[in-house]
Amino acid sequence: MKILSISTATNELSVALNEDERLIVEKNELDERNHSEHLDPIIDEILNKNKLKLKDIDRFAVAIGPGSYTGLRIGVTTVKMFASILNKEVVGVSTLQALAASYSEEDTLVVAGIDARNDNFFAGAYLNENGQPVNVIPDGHYHIDVLLTAINEYLNDHKPKKLLFIGSGFDKQIEQLDTLELPYSFGSAEQNAIHAGLIGKLALNKEPVDPDLLLPNYLRRTQAEVDWHKKTGNPFGPDSNYVEEV
Amino acid sequence: MDSKKDIRILAYESSCDETSTSVVKNGREIESLIVATQIKSHQRFGGVVPEVASRHHIEVISQITKEALAEANATWNDIDAIAVTYGPGLVGALLIGLSAAKAASMATGLPLIGVDHIMGHIMAAQLTDEIIYPALALQVSGGHTEIVLLKDPTHFEIVGDTRDDAAGEAYDKIGRVLGVNYPAGKTIDEWAHQGKDTFNFPRAMMEDDDYDFSFSGLKSAFINTCHHADQIHQELNKYDLAASFQAAVVDVLAHKTIRAIKQYQPKTFIMGGGVAANLGLRDRMEAEIANLPENLTPKVILPSLKLCGDNAAMIGAAAYNLYNEGEFSDLTLNADPSLELPYAAEMLK
Ligand SMILES: [Zn+2]
Repeated sequence: MKILSISTATNELSVALNEDERLIVEKNELDERNHSEHLDPIIDEILNKNKLKLKDIDRFAVAIGPGSYTGLRIGVTTVKMFASILNKEVVGVSTLQALAASYSEEDTLVVAGIDARNDNFFAGAYLNENGQPVNVIPDGHYHIDVLLTAINEYLNDHKPKKLLFIGSGFDKQIEQLDTLELPYSFGSAEQNAIHAGLIGKLALNKEPVDPDLLLPNYLRRTQAEVDWHKKTGNPFGPDSNYVEEV
Repeated sequence: MDSKKDIRILAYESSCDETSTSVVKNGREIESLIVATQIKSHQRFGGVVPEVASRHHIEVISQITKEALAEANATWNDIDAIAVTYGPGLVGALLIGLSAAKAASMATGLPLIGVDHIMGHIMAAQLTDEIIYPALALQVSGGHTEIVLLKDPTHFEIVGDTRDDAAGEAYDKIGRVLGVNYPAGKTIDEWAHQGKDTFNFPRAMMEDDDYDFSFSGLKSAFINTCHHADQIHQELNKYDLAASFQAAVVDVLAHKTIRAIKQYQPKTFIMGGGVAANLGLRDRMEAEIANLPENLTPKVILPSLKLCGDNAAMIGAAAYNLYNEGEFSDLTLNADPSLELPYAAEMLK
């Protein structure tokens, strides 16, 4: 099965082509806020070099979130249209699971996170089992204190041998991390980046979804909605309540 | 068999709070038009919240692509090009239509055409009647108030624009003061028809010899009048307030536009944009043009009310003209939230 995977979740753009378990090619570039300009040409280049057409791809995979909201939407919109038009499969993969997948040792609690500013993180924790990162602290939007409480609880209950922080922003929290009950280390630069090749690998074992229903996993309501909810007490309701064809 | 092949364009528009797709034949005929509006959502906040708008766009984009093809009884094989608004507008919102259109272009191999949203608004006229060039357009919406000279179907120049607020923006702001929910234009227009111009609000820059507008002074005068009345517990007639505001807006727009028509002598006069749906403005412009000397009277095209608001059919219409000129975009096409039509040389002085 040929899988084309992309990540536009962070300021790194990553595109990869996998054939089943095997990575054929992965291209990464750091392009601050220019994913819209670079994504399609990179896909085109990878396909051309491998003498493939988009219709030769069996499954599309994308980092579904968390991450930059605008970035996520560029990637998700792109694969959703590919899959919808070409009648192919599409799979969304957690950005944090993809980060955690860069570490393969067992018995290590891997905390994957993306800096969400003001001591907040989009984060989740994973444990490797048979080469698959299994989610043990759910992906969410956490203040560092809340995240560390959850990590300490996990350490107490499950006694993993090692603790690893991977992704972005944790190096700014050393004072806080030093209070943890287990010595920790940080991921390498390579591990801290999101790799589309790993997204492709994880996508192999996931159920495809209806492209029309594929949406970013923002993990956070917009501030406007939160304020409105607080002010009015009205429930958020499904988004479909607010969009109508006229 | 017809020697000239029909050209069908599938177009996307997602620059603000409407997600729209359309199939347009030969730039003139709407074969399908799907508009998913988010107004209900943004009414919760009293105006468009960009992040919320972007989230809604992505929810419907692939679905309404299929709907546009189905309603036109078409498959991708019947389509000749894919068009999309790339600016101006909300960047996050634009990026949904843009990412979708580019992905569709890659998946189908069809050429891509990036369209200026304002050119689209003006080209809604082409879906109503044939435009004879040169033409002059009064383009009025929430973000823009411009007089545009159309030299031919793809070369447009701004000859006058607003120095501050757009007319539609002023409507929304005074609407808030009157307690009218966003978007306020339609209600103010209705109230204006039930009231009289009793407040004599200022008509800014009306006698200046350029074609520029300014609506912030009018907006402030309106708000001050309401605040003052509030302080002395005086109840003002909302219909008269609406009528007085609208009269000031329409006076300035009509006065400057008629002067531009006299100078540029266009063969067609067009109105475009959301405020072009304002009945007070439509009636006034038609009446003023009917009063011109016969040799100065252009053909008038006022698009149907549905085509004044944001929609993908107008993008398909404009894209057809670009298609004929071979003006295609490549996969690096990016959103340009502050895209502007070029200014006429005399504007740059
Ligand atoms: Zn518009």
